[in-house]
Amino acid sequence: MTRKQKRLAVIGGGVGFLVAAVLLVMFAFSQSIAYFYVPGDLATANVPPGTRIRLGGLVETGTVKRGEGSTVTFAVTDTIGTVPVTYTGILPDLFREGQGVVAEGSFASGSSVFVADTVLAKHDETYMPKDVADRLKAQGVTLSGKETIR
Amino acid sequence: MFFWILVAVLTAAVAAVLLLPLLRAGGRSNVDDTNDAEVYRDQLEELMRDEAAGLIGKAEAELARAEIARRLIAATAREGASRSGQHPATTRRRNLLAQALIIVVMPAVGLCLYLSAGHPELPAQPLAARLANPGNDVNILIAKAEAHLAENPDDGAGWDILAPIYYRNGRIEDSANAYREGIRVLGPSAARLDGYAEALIALSGGIVTKDAREVLQQSQALDAGNPRTRFYLALALEQEGRRDEALAAFEALAKDSPADAPWLPLVKRHVAGLSRGEQAKPPGNPDAGQVAAADEMTPDDRRQMIAGMVESLADRLKEDPHNFEGWMRIIRSYAVLDQRQAAEDALRTALKNFPPQSENGRQLLALADELAIKVEGSGQ
Amino acid sequence: MIIEIGHYALILVLATSIVQSLLPLAGTLRNDPALMAVAPAAATAGFLLTLFSFSVLTFAYVTSDFSVRNVWENSHSLKPMIYKVSGVWGNHEGSMMLWLLILAFFSALVATFGGNLPDRLKANVLAVQGWITAAFALFILLTSNPFLRLDPAPGEGKDLNPILQDVGLAIHPPLLYLGYVGFSVCFSFAIAALIDGRIDAAWARWVRPWALMAWSFLTAGIAMGSYWAYYELGWGGWWFWDPVENASFMPWLAGTALLHSALVMEKREALKIWTVLLAILTFSLSLLGTFLVRSGVLTSVHAFATDPTRGVFILAILIVFIGGALSLFAFRAPALKAGGLFAPISREGALVFNNLILTTAAATVLTGTLYPLVLESLTGEKISVGAPFFNLTFGLLMVPLLLAVPFGPLLAWKRGDVLAAGQRLFAAVGVGLALAAIVQWMHGGGPVLSYFGLALGFYMLAGSVTDLALRAGVGKVSAGIARKRLFGLPGSAFGTALAHFGLGVTVIGIVAVSAFETEHVVEMKPGATVTAGGYTLTFDGMRQGRGANYTEESGHFSISRAGVKAGEVWSSKRFYTARRMPTTEAGIRTFGFSQLYVSLGDQMGDGGIVVRVWWKPMILCIWFGTLIMMAGGAVSLFDRRLRIGAPQGARTTKAAARLEAAE
Repeated sequence: MTRKQKRLAVIGGGVGFLVAAVLLVMFAFSQSIAYFYVPGDLATANVPPGTRIRLGGLVETGTVKRGEGSTVTFAVTDTIGTVPVTYTGILPDLFREGQGVVAEGSFASGSSVFVADTVLAKHDETYMPKDVADRLKAQGVTLSGKETIR
Repeated sequence: MFFWILVAVLTAAVAAVLLLPLLRAGGRSNVDDTNDAEVYRDQLEELMRDEAAGLIGKAEAELARAEIARRLIAATAREGASRSGQHPATTRRRNLLAQALIIVVMPAVGLCLYLSAGHPELPAQPLAARLANPGNDVNILIAKAEAHLAENPDDGAGWDILAPIYYRNGRIEDSANAYREGIRVLGPSAARLDGYAEALIALSGGIVTKDAREVLQQSQALDAGNPRTRFYLALALEQEGRRDEALAAFEALAKDSPADAPWLPLVKRHVAGLSRGEQAKPPGNPDAGQVAAADEMTPDDRRQMIAGMVESLADRLKEDPHNFEGWMRIIRSYAVLDQRQAAEDALRTALKNFPPQSENGRQLLALADELAIKVEGSGQ
Repeated sequence: MIIEIGHYALILVLATSIVQSLLPLAGTLRNDPALMAVAPAAATAGFLLTLFSFSVLTFAYVTSDFSVRNVWENSHSLKPMIYKVSGVWGNHEGSMMLWLLILAFFSALVATFGGNLPDRLKANVLAVQGWITAAFALFILLTSNPFLRLDPAPGEGKDLNPILQDVGLAIHPPLLYLGYVGFSVCFSFAIAALIDGRIDAAWARWVRPWALMAWSFLTAGIAMGSYWAYYELGWGGWWFWDPVENASFMPWLAGTALLHSALVMEKREALKIWTVLLAILTFSLSLLGTFLVRSGVLTSVHAFATDPTRGVFILAILIVFIGGALSLFAFRAPALKAGGLFAPISREGALVFNNLILTTAAATVLTGTLYPLVLESLTGEKISVGAPFFNLTFGLLMVPLLLAVPFGPLLAWKRGDVLAAGQRLFAAVGVGLALAAIVQWMHGGGPVLSYFGLALGFYMLAGSVTDLALRAGVGKVSAGIARKRLFGLPGSAFGTALAHFGLGVTVIGIVAVSAFETEHVVEMKPGATVTAGGYTLTFDGMRQGRGANYTEESGHFSISRAGVKAGEVWSSKRFYTARRMPTTEAGIRTFGFSQLYVSLGDQMGDGGIVVRVWWKPMILCIWFGTLIMMAGGAVSLFDRRLRIGAPQGARTTKAAARLEAAE
C-alpha cells in the first residue's frame, strides 16, 4: 500500500466507524426516549399502551393507598386531568400528598391505569421537578419556592 | 479605621509583589530555549530497553533509532541556532504602562467592587461569642432556647415560653410546632390550645380553618369562659357567614367582659359591624390573629404587614380560585386598605367562580353591599 | 472584620488575575522578560489571596457566623464539625469558591514548579490561567458572592441539605474539582501553544503529567460520587446516567483520550494537532459540566440553587472560552506542523483507535445529555433520555475498545504485528474464557451474554499481566533475571498495566452486578425473613434514636447463612429537624466483594414495614477497579521520566547498568 492508500484506509475506517456510531445513536433514540406528559395532555395525546412515558404532576391529596405488600396506588393530577398510578416498590423519602412527582412507566393495555416502575419526588423543600414546574406554570398554577399547592 | 488601614496594606503588598518583577533589573532569559533534545534522548533510551525486552524487532528498532536520531540532530541544530541567533535585546524599558496598570487596577477594582457589596462596619459574629454575651439579641435568646430544647425535647415549660416568642417574631410555623410540642409534653390547656389555634389561624392568613376550630372547641371544653377562645369561635361563625350567630356570640362576649378588658374594643367593632351590616374596621377580623403583634407596630409597619398578607392571599387565590373564604377576606381587606378598584376587581373575579345565584355568590354580594362596593351585574 | 477582609481578598484575586491575564501576554508579544516575569508572581499572589479568602469563609462556617448569609443558608450550629467544614462547598457559592481555589492552586503550581519551562510558554500558559481565574472570580463576585452579610444576624442557620451531610461531601467535590480544574492546565498549555504557533516534543511531556494527574483525581472523584450516591440515596443504584453524572463523565472520557494521544505525541511526534484539540475539548467539557450543574438548566441533587443570571453568566463564560479556543484552533492549527506517519496496525494505530472510540463515546453521552435540552428549547417538547439509551450506545461502543485494550501495549510503535500480539494474548483469552466457564459452572443462571462480559473482564486482567510478563522476559530468561527486569521496568509500564488491570476489575464488577443482582421488596413484621444471595435476613424490630440534628427509626436485621449467624445490619430512616426532611440510611453489609443492601420503606398500619433488599454480587469491584486505575495513574505520574523537567543524569547510568546486567 502506498502512503496515500494507507491514509485513505485509516480515514475511511474512521468515517465508517463514526457513521456506525451515529446510526447506533439514532436507533437508541428511537428505542428509548420517554416523552414527558402531564395528566391534562393525555386526553388529547393518545399514548398507546406499553409506550414508555414520564408522567409528571402533583400527587392528589387523599389518593395514596397501600395495597398488598409494597404496591401503592395514587393519583397524579395537574388540576386539569387526573391519572391513577400503581407502583410496586419503595416510594422516595420525599413523596408526599400534594407534592410534585414524576412517575416513569407505561399504561397497562386496555386500562387507564399508569403502571410506574420509577417514581421520583422532589429532592428538598424548594425543589420541584423542572418539567412539572414548567408545565404547571404554563397552566396557571404558580409554584414559587415553598409556596406549593396545598 | 483599622479595617481600612488593613485594606490599604493588603492592596499595597499585592501591588508590590506584582511590581517587583517589572522593577527588577536584569534576570535570566531563556526565551527560546526548548527541551526537544532531552526528550529525544529519552526516547532512544526507551527504544533500547524495548529492544532488549524483545518487544520490537531488530530491523524495526534500527529504523526507529535512525528516525529519532535524525530528529535529535535536527533539534540540536535548531537549538544551537536559536541560542546564537536571536537572543532578544532585553530592553530595560521601564514598562511604565504596565506599572501604571497595576497601580491603578488593584485599588480601583478592589474598592469599586468592595464598596458595592461589602459591609466594612459589620464585625464577625461567631455564634459562640454571641451565645456567651447575648445582650438583647432576640435571635440568640431564641437560639439558646432552641438548643436547650433540642437536648431536652420533653421540657414542656421551655416550649411554653418559646411558642409565643416565635409568634411575636413572625415565625408562625415554628410557633405552631412549639405549641404542639407543649401540648404533647404537658397536655392540653386552654392557653396552649388557644395559642396553637391562633398560630394555625395566622398560618392560613387569618382564616379560622376547620383544624383551628376543632382546637378552639377543645379549648372551650376545658375552659368555657375564656374570652380569647370565644372571640375566635365567634370569628369563625362570622367568616362562615352565620352572621346572626356570630353577632350573638360577640355580644355575649362583650357582656361577659370587664369594662376595661383590652379586647373589648375589638369585640365591639365586630358587634357594631355585624349589627349594622357594615364593614369591620381595620385591621379587620381576618388579621385578628396578628392584632397582638400589629398593635406594637407603627401604623406604617402595620399597613405594610397587612398589604403583604393581602398580596400573598391574592397569589394563593390565583392558584386556587375556588377558595370562597379567601375571596371574602380579600375583598374586605382591599376595602379596608381603601383600594376600592382592587376590591371591585376581586369581587368581579370571585363572582365568575361563584355565580350570583349560588349561595356563595349571594354572600359575596351581601359583602359588597356591606362595603359599598359596586360591580355591574351585582345590582339586583 | 475578618469576614470583610476575606471578602476584600477575594476582590483582589480578581484584580491580580486581570494583571496576570494581560501583562505576560504583552510580554510575549514584545519579547520582554520583565513583563513575562509578572505571571508567576501574580499567580502565586492570586493563590495566596484565594486561599486566605477561602479560609475566612471556612472560619465563618466553623464558628457558625450567621451574619454571613451563605453560612446562615447552609449551616446549623448543631451540625457535626466535619459537616460544618465540608458544608463550605456543599452549596453553590462555596463550591464555586472551591473551584477558584483549586484553579489558583494549579496556576501557582505551574508558576512554582515550571522553572524549566521556556519563559514564553510559561508566560502564555499563566496568562490563559489568568483569564479563567478572572472569569470565575468575576462570576463569584457578581452572581454568587459568599461574603454577603445579614444584619441583624439570625440566631440559627437553615442547615445543610441532609443528603449532603455525609463524609462523601468532604471528599467527592474536592476530588472532582481537582480533576475538572486540572484539565484547565492542559487547556492553557494548548492555547499557549496555539498563541505561539508551535508545538514541540517537550510540550507533550509537560502536558502529559498534568493530564495524568487531573485524570487520576477525576477518576477518584467520579468513583467516590458513584459510591456515595449508591449508599446515601438508598436506591441501590451506583450509576444513574443522571445529566450531572454525565457532566463529569464526559471530561473523563475525553481526558482518557487525551492521556493516550499525548503518549503518541510524546513518543512519536504524531497526532500533535489532535492532542491540542483534545486538550481544548476536555476542558470545554469540564466547563460545560460546570454550566449544566451550576446554571440550573438541569435539576438534580447537585443543582443547589437556580438563578437565571448565573446561568447566563456561565453560558457567557462557556461561549467565550470554548468558542474562543476553537476559533483560535481553527485559525492557528494549519500553522502547526503535522506529525509523523505510521501504519494502521501499530501502537499509534491502537491509540488512535482508542481515541476514536473514547471521543465517540463522549459525543454519544453529550448527545444524550443535551438532546432533551436542545429539543425543549427548539420545539418546547419535553423528553427524557434515560439509562436504556446510554446503556445501549455506550455499552456497544465499549466492547471493541475493551477487546483492544490488551493489544495496545503489545504492539510495537510505528509498525506492529497484530498476529504476533494475538498469539501472545492467546493465553489471556484462554484464561478469560476458562474463568468465565468456571463461574458459570459454580454459579449458573443469568444470561449467556453476561458470561462473555465476565470473560472480557478476566481477559483484560490476564492481558495486563501478560504485558508485564513479556516486558520482563518471563519464559525467555531465567526467573531471577526476569524478576530483576520486572523491577527495572519504567513506572509508566506499570502504570499502563495497573490502569488496564483496574479497568478489567471494574468491568467484572459492572457485569456481575448487572447480570446477577437480585432485588426483593417485601413487607416484613418482626420475625419475618427474606433470602437474598444465599443469605437469610431476619427482621428483629425497630428502634428509635436521635443524632445531633436528626431523629431516626432504625430496623435491625440479623443475617445468617445456612443457619449460621453471619452478621447483622441496621437500616434507618432519618428525619432532619431543621429542614423537616426525611432521608433513608441504607444498611449495607459487605461479604468479600459482594454486598447486602437493605433499605426501609413505609411503615404499614399493622406494625409491618416495607423492606427492600438487594444482593449485589461483586459490586465493590466497580470501585476497587477505579482505585487500581488511579494507582496506575499515580505510578505513571511518578515515573521519573515524566516529571516536569526532571534531569536525566543519575537514572540513565543506573538503567544502563541494569541493562548490562540483564544481557
